[in-house]
Amino acid sequence: MPVIKVSNLSKTYEYHKKQPGLWSSVRGLFHREKLFKKAVREINFEIGEGELVGFLGPNGAGKTTTLKMLSGILFPTSGETKVLGYIPWKREPQYQKQFALVMGQKNQLWWDLPAMESFILNKEIYEVSDKDFKKNLDELAELLDIKDILDVQVRKLSLGQRMKCELVAALLHKPKVLFLDEPTIGLDVVAQKNIRDFIKRYNQKNKTTIILTSHYMEDVKELCRRVIIIEEGKIGYDGDLASLIEKYAPYKVLKITFEGEGVKKSDIEKFGEVHKFLPHSITLRVPREKAKNVARDILSSDLPVDDILIDEVEISDVVRKIFSSSNNKF
Amino acid sequence: MIRKYSMIINNEIQRQFTYRLNIAAYAFGNIAELVALTVVWTIVYRNIDTIQGYSSNEMITYVVFAWFFSFLTTTYSFEQNVARDIHQGTLSSLLIKPQSYIRYVMAVAVGRISIAFGIVIIQGILVFLFFSDVLIFSVDLPTIFLLFFMLVATFAINLFLSIIIGFIAFWTNEVFGLYYSLKVFAKFMSGTFFPIILLPVFFVKVCFFFPFAYTIYIPVQLYLGKISFAEGLRGFAIEVLWLGILYVIIRVLWKLGLKKYEGVGI
Repeated sequence: MPVIKVSNLSKTYEYHKKQPGLWSSVRGLFHREKLFKKAVREINFEIGEGELVGFLGPNGAGKTTTLKMLSGILFPTSGETKVLGYIPWKREPQYQKQFALVMGQKNQLWWDLPAMESFILNKEIYEVSDKDFKKNLDELAELLDIKDILDVQVRKLSLGQRMKCELVAALLHKPKVLFLDEPTIGLDVVAQKNIRDFIKRYNQKNKTTIILTSHYMEDVKELCRRVIIIEEGKIGYDGDLASLIEKYAPYKVLKITFEGEGVKKSDIEKFGEVHKFLPHSITLRVPREKAKNVARDILSSDLPVDDILIDEVEISDVVRKIFSSSNNKF
Repeated sequence: MIRKYSMIINNEIQRQFTYRLNIAAYAFGNIAELVALTVVWTIVYRNIDTIQGYSSNEMITYVVFAWFFSFLTTTYSFEQNVARDIHQGTLSSLLIKPQSYIRYVMAVAVGRISIAFGIVIIQGILVFLFFSDVLIFSVDLPTIFLLFFMLVATFAINLFLSIIIGFIAFWTNEVFGLYYSLKVFAKFMSGTFFPIILLPVFFVKVCFFFPFAYTIYIPVQLYLGKISFAEGLRGFAIEVLWLGILYVIIRVLWKLGLKKYEGVGI
C-alpha cells in the first residue's frame, strides 16, 4: 500500500488584476477583475514507503503548492489525497504527529532563542517522551555535528547551521513522512553536501518516505532515484532519473582532448554535433547508440587524440531542456 | 497538553528577556502619558472643587488607577503579532503541528506581557509613592479580590479583541491604520483618560453597549467606592459574558479566515 496517494489533485488560485497607475488603484477600490491561476492540474502519483522522490520544476510550476496540500495547509480545488491513510487537510493530530515539513525559505525555530528551546517546545507539542527525545536529539546532533551550537541564539547561526537545526526540529518526533521544500537553498557547496549526505543517510536508516524539491540538480542526482517533473501544474515525467536522461537526452557526450597543434572545427564536425570547441578540447554530442562507434572512428582517424571520454549528459542540461521547451509552449 | 502551552509561555518570556531595553523604553512612554493627564487635571481643578461629583483628589486617583489598570491589562498591540503570522505565512508552519493556533497565540500573548507586567507593577508603586498625599487608599480585602478577577477578565477581553482585530489580516493587507484607530477608540471608550461620565449621555450609552466601559471605568469606580460591591460583581459578570461573546466571534472568524487561507495560501 502506498504511503502517499494523490488522485486528480487540482488547485486553482483566485487573485485580482491590477493595472499600473494611480487611477486603476482608485478604480480597484470599487471593482476588481477576478483572475484564476491553475497552480496544480489533475496530478496523480503514488509514493511507497521509504522512497525518496525528487520534485523538479521551474519556479511557479506547482511544487510548493502540492507540498502544501500534502501537509494540509492548503485545501484543494478538487481531487483526493491520502497520506498514511489520512486526508491531510483535515489536519488530524494523529496525522500531524507522523509527518514534517521543512521549508528552506522559512524559519520555524524561535529566532531569538537557542535552537534547544525550540526543540524542547517541539518535544511537548509532538508529545515525545523524555527518553525518545534524548535519544533522537543525541543521534541527530551527532549526525549533523551541531552539538556545540545548540545553545546559541538561532539568529546568530549561519544559514547552514540554522538549516541543520531546522532539520533536527522537524525530525525529533520521528516522522514517517518528510517533505523538504528546497532544504539547500542559499547554502554554500560544503553545507549543501552536508545536508545532502544527512538526508541520504537518514532516509536509508529510518526508511522515512521523503519528497524533496530543489533547484540544485546535484541534490536530485545524489539523492533521488525517482523524480517527478512538474510543469505548469501538470506532471511531465514520473519515473527513474536514469531513464529520464535516456528519454530526454537521446545522446551521449564525447569529451576529446588533442595533442600538439590541435584540430580544426571542420575536421571534427563530420563525427557529430560540436557542442564546445577549443583546438585542444572538444565536446561532441552523438546519438546514444552510436557513441561507441564514433569514439572508435575518432581514435582510428589521423587526428592527434590524447584522451577520449564518453559521458552522460548533465542532468541539469536535461532538465533545462525540458523546462525551456515547456516555457516555449505557453 | 497543558505543558505544550506552558512551554510556549516559557519560551516567550525568555524571548522577551532578549529585548529588555525595548521593554524599558515602553515604560518611559507609559509615564509620559500619566504625566500629561495629571498635569491637565491639576490645572483644571485650580478654580473648581468638584466636577460631576469628582473632587480633585478623586480625579487624580481615578486617572492614576485607570492608567495603572490599563497598563496592567494591555496586550501591547498583540494584534500585530497575529496579523504578522497570517501575512508572513508563519501560520502555515504552526498549522501543521498538532496544536491549536488560538491556544498557541494566547500562550504567546501571556508570555509576551509578563516582563512588561512586572515593570508596570514597579512603576505603579513608584507612582503611588509620588502621589501619596493626593491618592485615596481605602479598599477592603473582598474588593481587592474582585478587582483582581475583573482585571484578569479585562486582560482576557483585550486579548480576545486583539486576536479578532488581528484576524482581519485574513482579508486585507492594509490593517495597521485600522488597528491604530480601533485602539484609540477602545482606550477612549474604556475611560482610561477620564471618567466616561463626563461625556454626553449618548456616548456614555455607547461605552456601556460595548465591553470597554467594563474593562477600566467600572473597576476604577469600584476602587473609588463610587459603586457598590454588588454593582462591581455585576460589572464582572458582564465582562465574563463579553468574554463568551468574543470567544464565539473568534471561533467564527477563525473558521472563515482559515477557509480563505487554505484557499489562497496567502
